[in-house]
Amino acid sequence: MTWKYVCSATDVPKNTLKQFDADGIMLVVANYGGRFRAFPPVCPHMEEPLEESGIIANCVLTCSKHLWSWDLGTLSMLGETEKPLKTYDVKEEEGKLFALIDKELVYEFENSDGDDDDFFK
Amino acid sequence: MVAKTHEQWLANPPLASGEWIDSRIYSDQGIFEEELDKIFKHTWIPVCHESELAKPYDFRTTSIAREPIIVTRGPDNVVRAFLNVCPHRGMLIERRPSGSFMEAQPSGNPKRMTCMFHAWQFDMKGNCVYISREKEGFQDRLTKEDVGLRRLRCEVKFGGFVWVNLDDNPVASLEDWAADAFGALRKTLDAEPLEVFHYHKAIVSTNYKLWHDTNCEFYHDFMHYHNRVTGFNDAYFARKNEAFNHGHIQVGTFEVNYDQYEGFESRAGLSFPHLPPNQWYMVDLFPGMNFNLRGSALRCDIVTPIGPNKVMIEFRGLGLKKDTPEERETRINHHNSIWGPFGRNLHEDLIGVTGQGSTTLPGSESRRVLHGRHENQTIHDENGMRHYYEEWSRWMNRMASDPSKPFTAERHVEVAAAE
Repeated sequence: MTWKYVCSATDVPKNTLKQFDADGIMLVVANYGGRFRAFPPVCPHMEEPLEESGIIANCVLTCSKHLWSWDLGTLSMLGETEKPLKTYDVKEEEGKLFALIDKELVYEFENSDGDDDDFFK
Repeated sequence: MVAKTHEQWLANPPLASGEWIDSRIYSDQGIFEEELDKIFKHTWIPVCHESELAKPYDFRTTSIAREPIIVTRGPDNVVRAFLNVCPHRGMLIERRPSGSFMEAQPSGNPKRMTCMFHAWQFDMKGNCVYISREKEGFQDRLTKEDVGLRRLRCEVKFGGFVWVNLDDNPVASLEDWAADAFGALRKTLDAEPLEVFHYHKAIVSTNYKLWHDTNCEFYHDFMHYHNRVTGFNDAYFARKNEAFNHGHIQVGTFEVNYDQYEGFESRAGLSFPHLPPNQWYMVDLFPGMNFNLRGSALRCDIVTPIGPNKVMIEFRGLGLKKDTPEERETRINHHNSIWGPFGRNLHEDLIGVTGQGSTTLPGSESRRVLHGRHENQTIHDENGMRHYYEEWSRWMNRMASDPSKPFTAERHVEVAAAE
């Protein structure tokens, strides 16, 4: 586990999300009312890039595609949301943001595996 | 010898049956509709080339016989084809000609096909993976399992072309259907991955069969000054026009003298794998696809019939994927100088078929169009067209020489034995 530099705290304006490459790990930093969260760059529902489709209001992150949402303060799931948001710990030192990264956090997505070469046979 | 009265003009020529066709098969709306149903919905059609969807999640859309089609490359690199129609309310799912699903659509997500109408989503195997507010509206009466896309038979073959058949149970596999028409070129087309470097399409006021006829007969080289000065010699006239099962033909090669044409240089420097320079092969497949390999460049025409007197022709030029920039530039130059929109020959061919289109407008009087030349199955023999119309008559159950009569088998053209 190491703290990796992500960005300057001023890089992410209040109530916005921005995607960064932290030493090879892609993540999104969310500024919710002046506090920060860092998490994988896609929505755990259907891989939607949250930098583009995430909305932050009243400390709640909502993916605008299918309205899954999380309270960024408590990380509780809201509404129809079915999966928790995975997060990296974040610290701010001298105006710089660092994320505690062991390995990349990823979600399992439904994947229709299996050979379908015999579809018509 | 003499001009003809109306009655004489309409009489059959003094040729054997099968050596002419009735012009109504180019002009009649009812026959046209039957062709879509009886032929185009049951034969193998190359819809694009695999290099047009080079990366996982790339797609290409097209249509066969008015049915919209989408071809995708899955994360497993398999190319699959589907009807481009949402099972929910019949919306066209993807309306772009090509692109990538790596990027999300406004109402969908990355790596899925999305119907923008109600945000239903499908994966690259055609499975439905998302129904918006599924439980609220359908409870358990209809689930994602019930509403996948219609999968179509699809194969990548003969130089990486993507072939689709709307019939789940075609009369023959693609391999058997092609009947060795690609035989002489197979090694050349399959040695290296090919890549499309040229694409244009034209909507032409003529019948699709007239375009294919022009690709099947070389007698009209009298229209092409270029072909006369670079070709006409003993080897040219000795080329074989060979017929294969299922209505296909292959025209054999000879050495073209490109430097005989003013402004052109020899093209000896660049060829295709396993092929000496300056060769010229042609493969014409029923019901309207043409593969034309002139030494350094491969051209492919695909016809999409729109009406009895309207056809969309898609023209592709291909080289080798591994071409150096210099080789690619040479191939493009060679391709465009003959076949590009401002090329030496293409516009002349279009003058020919639009002239025929002008004389076969819907409602025009039935006439005879002659296909009666016999020259020992060489280049100016019209056996290619006779062979094609025999196949056409079989699929349509109408004689091309008189479409009011049902098909009766009369072999007019000797077919090459399968290997």
